[in-house]
Amino acid sequence: MHDRVNRRSVLVAGAAAGAAAAAACSRLLGSGGPEVRQVDLTSAAPARPADAGAFANRDASYAAAGGQAAVKSAPAPVLVYPTASAAAAATKPAVPGVLANGDPVLHLLRRATIGPTPAMAADVRARGIDAWIATQLAPDTIADPVADGVTAAFPLATADLPTVNARVRPGDWDAMTDYGRYTLARMVWSDRQLYEVMVDFWANHLNVPQPGPGSWNVGPAYHRDVIRRHALGSFTDMLLAAGRHPAMLRYLSADLSDRGSVNENYGRELLELHTVGIDGGYTEKDVRNSAYILTGRSVVGDGSPGAGTFRYDPDRHWTGPVKVLDFTSANATGAGGLAVGDAYLRHLAGLPATARAIARKLAVRFVADSPPPALVDRLAKAYLDGGTQIVPVLRLMFRSGEFWASVGQKVRRPLENLVASARALGVRPGPDNAAGMDTLLNRANDLGHRPLAWRAPNGYPDVHAAWRSAGSVVGLWNVHRTLASGGVPGLTVAPAAQRVAGAGGAAGAGVAAQVDGLCRSLCLQAFRPAHRDALVRFVGGPAVGDDAADLVALVLDSPYFTLR
Amino acid sequence: MTRDTRETEDTRQPPLRVLHALADRVTSDRERRRGAWSRGFTRRQVLAGAGMAGVAALGTQLVTTRASFGAPGGGTLVVLFLRGGMDGLSVVVPAGDPHLAQVRPDIAVPAGELLPLDRGFGLHPALGPLHELWKKGQFTAVPATSTPDLSRSHFQAQDCLERGGSSTGTLEGWLDRVLDGMGPGTTFRALGSGPTLPRSLAGDQAPLALRRIDDLRLRDPDSVRGRTRDALKALYTGVDGPVTGEVASGLASMDIAAVLGAVPYQPAGAYPDGDLGVGLSQIARLVKSDLGVRVACIDLGGWDMHTHIGTIDGGFMKDNLTALGQNLGAFAADLGDRLGDVTLVGMTEFGRRVAQNGNAGADHGHGSTVLLMGGGLAGGTVHGAWPGLAPGQLVQGDVPGANDFRDVLGELVVRRLGLGTATLGSVFPGHAYHPLGVTR
Repeated sequence: MHDRVNRRSVLVAGAAAGAAAAAACSRLLGSGGPEVRQVDLTSAAPARPADAGAFANRDASYAAAGGQAAVKSAPAPVLVYPTASAAAAATKPAVPGVLANGDPVLHLLRRATIGPTPAMAADVRARGIDAWIATQLAPDTIADPVADGVTAAFPLATADLPTVNARVRPGDWDAMTDYGRYTLARMVWSDRQLYEVMVDFWANHLNVPQPGPGSWNVGPAYHRDVIRRHALGSFTDMLLAAGRHPAMLRYLSADLSDRGSVNENYGRELLELHTVGIDGGYTEKDVRNSAYILTGRSVVGDGSPGAGTFRYDPDRHWTGPVKVLDFTSANATGAGGLAVGDAYLRHLAGLPATARAIARKLAVRFVADSPPPALVDRLAKAYLDGGTQIVPVLRLMFRSGEFWASVGQKVRRPLENLVASARALGVRPGPDNAAGMDTLLNRANDLGHRPLAWRAPNGYPDVHAAWRSAGSVVGLWNVHRTLASGGVPGLTVAPAAQRVAGAGGAAGAGVAAQVDGLCRSLCLQAFRPAHRDALVRFVGGPAVGDDAADLVALVLDSPYFTLR
Repeated sequence: MTRDTRETEDTRQPPLRVLHALADRVTSDRERRRGAWSRGFTRRQVLAGAGMAGVAALGTQLVTTRASFGAPGGGTLVVLFLRGGMDGLSVVVPAGDPHLAQVRPDIAVPAGELLPLDRGFGLHPALGPLHELWKKGQFTAVPATSTPDLSRSHFQAQDCLERGGSSTGTLEGWLDRVLDGMGPGTTFRALGSGPTLPRSLAGDQAPLALRRIDDLRLRDPDSVRGRTRDALKALYTGVDGPVTGEVASGLASMDIAAVLGAVPYQPAGAYPDGDLGVGLSQIARLVKSDLGVRVACIDLGGWDMHTHIGTIDGGFMKDNLTALGQNLGAFAADLGDRLGDVTLVGMTEFGRRVAQNGNAGADHGHGSTVLLMGGGLAGGTVHGAWPGLAPGQLVQGDVPGANDFRDVLGELVVRRLGLGTATLGSVFPGHAYHPLGVTR
């Protein structure tokens, strides 16, 4: 109880002061209750959440709000092609816009990476779309020297649990801080970009916020052993790993749940957020049974030998027949409870409703905020056919016309814009990478999008309607000015004047040529004449002078960089 | 008090005339589209036009016919969402009800410690600042409030409340429809406090989401400022995209933010540290600057108290209520006389079970309590129906929804924002409006 109170107090304080917490509801402790009391359903409350008026999830609700928020999915071909390159060649952008310039390589890079670079574009062109995707889907085959070199500077991010226990005082943030730096550094510098996109995707799908009070020693291990390990593997394996991981069990209060005081928090979120979704057809009684099944899963407490390791306690397991949706078990013994739980998790991972929920989320991530239903259905089938393997789903998506037709239909969220800016500008590691990462993390925090920091279990929103903010627009414009002027101590940023000079080709080529070159180097495409002319007018003279950094920033402020 | 006397009174504030000259009026995207549709534009052209208009609105094109400054019914509604499911029985306590102590032996607030209200209710002692407002008729509450078909999922219940209806046919946020019904206003007429946009404001309108006014200041050198702004406008002109609305809002508010930011704000109230205090102080500042704020949304989380609700001596409830009371007290002090123009409504997605659970907390329930603060309220009494806590009155262990959120919110938008009752039907589809008389 003492531990419980402390954790909760930290949470309350964190919610009041935490920067990313403003929009997050704090449902971090679940429903403890007297033994085996059935949930009382009010006559007014629907038996199934799906009956209460449910969009598929929060993002589907936001995206449905319409108006300026909506990126309308124009009619798209629903053809599946033998290869991604064939799909790319056969498909035109469905909506005209500044990005619809007919170059599928750029579209691929805007979606499959956190930010294209000229080098990566050259790589795709040299090897071809299909070979590039195949390599990205096998990240272990990609050497990653820059990211590996930088992240070696954050040793607690990759330290094992005994090391963290030995080096970090319980409750302190050192390991989680290193893991935040590690995460951002890999986003910026890893060449395994599609893998990093998927790591971010799953970290939000099975969100355990960092920093978070129960994660001081186990948080980095959660993200390594559950998210990163399985990000391109099978969802079943990921869900099983999460279901035994101390970070998840603590975050959703499963470690407090026992047969005498069943806590519904994890059991509910497992259904609503991790697997079948709010419209998955389960009842409040199913939620209760879901919680029963998960009792006994616990964590060795701080101060004990093996602190922070998973422990199954048969005596705490609720026994008796259980039924959730079409999963049933006699669940007769405490000793067998862990196996029942694993069977339950496997069952949930393989349900069509789970397939649909994950397929929809992937389509939102890669295609459009309101994705075409035919695409979602197709991806869900691939998920089931492949035994919950992720890679076949992604392969099919890249072979689908809807993906290639969706040019310009997504907007970079604040963190994505920040990382893409650093990548476009070729920001390099420098003399103090921890300080450099901290500066960037603080800017992301100001924008409400620090990596891994969303406090509620539903993860950061992934649709533009939820991120519409004039404050963020201007905030990102300021980030562009900071980066363009080299204002990130500890990292290496090429001077803007040098960049402008390098972009303009031959000496004396003129401002228009320099602006064109700058647009090509940062956005990898030419701007429309009216937009190019606006930048030329900004320069206002025969040559770019002291305003080089502001010119560079304006290119990043433009819609060519804002959309993806 | 007139605007002119305020202007001369407080020399620390930027000149209001300067701010007002900068506060471009904006109209709604929906209205623009309607107008365009009626002129026979195609859908595509409408979208392209909206993008351009959004940026062009910085000029004179969309100056409206309806003045917003000081217009009749020109109050401000602040919606404070208490996320996580606030236990109303610990806040506005039905101390006169004998059943409460029976089912909450460890967590019921003792009657003798309460700050007296009426109808047998008392206020949690951590809410002293609100009790001071009660004495002045500027704070009241409605117990047992819900919406009939509300879910027990936090996310789903919040989603339904923020959309103003459970049907998935109700797409926009409820405040988006309120703004639509009110017609045009200034750039600052709808504020979302936080890094993401509250679901209740999502839709066709042009809300301004920000954490601090200062966020809207572009940090570019003086030498390029005008040119930067011209270039940004030009870069988004002719662009048909989802970002044009907030780009236009950012550009429109940038100069005002610069004027305001040039003078450090000194709130007239002492806000505690934290996001709520930051957000409320920004809202107060914009209201006091007469920038046409009509609706503002802000959150306070931390109410999901399944364990250790605690007592008046300590625990989660005392901590959270202390923060709430101090913040709202500071907000009232900061607004000063302008509190009369502002009405704040504190709402939550559901209340909690009447009986405590095995962890000295309470599980998800149904009806909770709406908190009301500010001007225009019918003070001196707790409002709404109260069936009591006798077992026969409960709905399977929960406080029933004897009062409907939509009647409370509807009354506020009619009486404080000047929305016609006929328009309420579109704000809360399918709901028959029965005001409770919370306003005077």
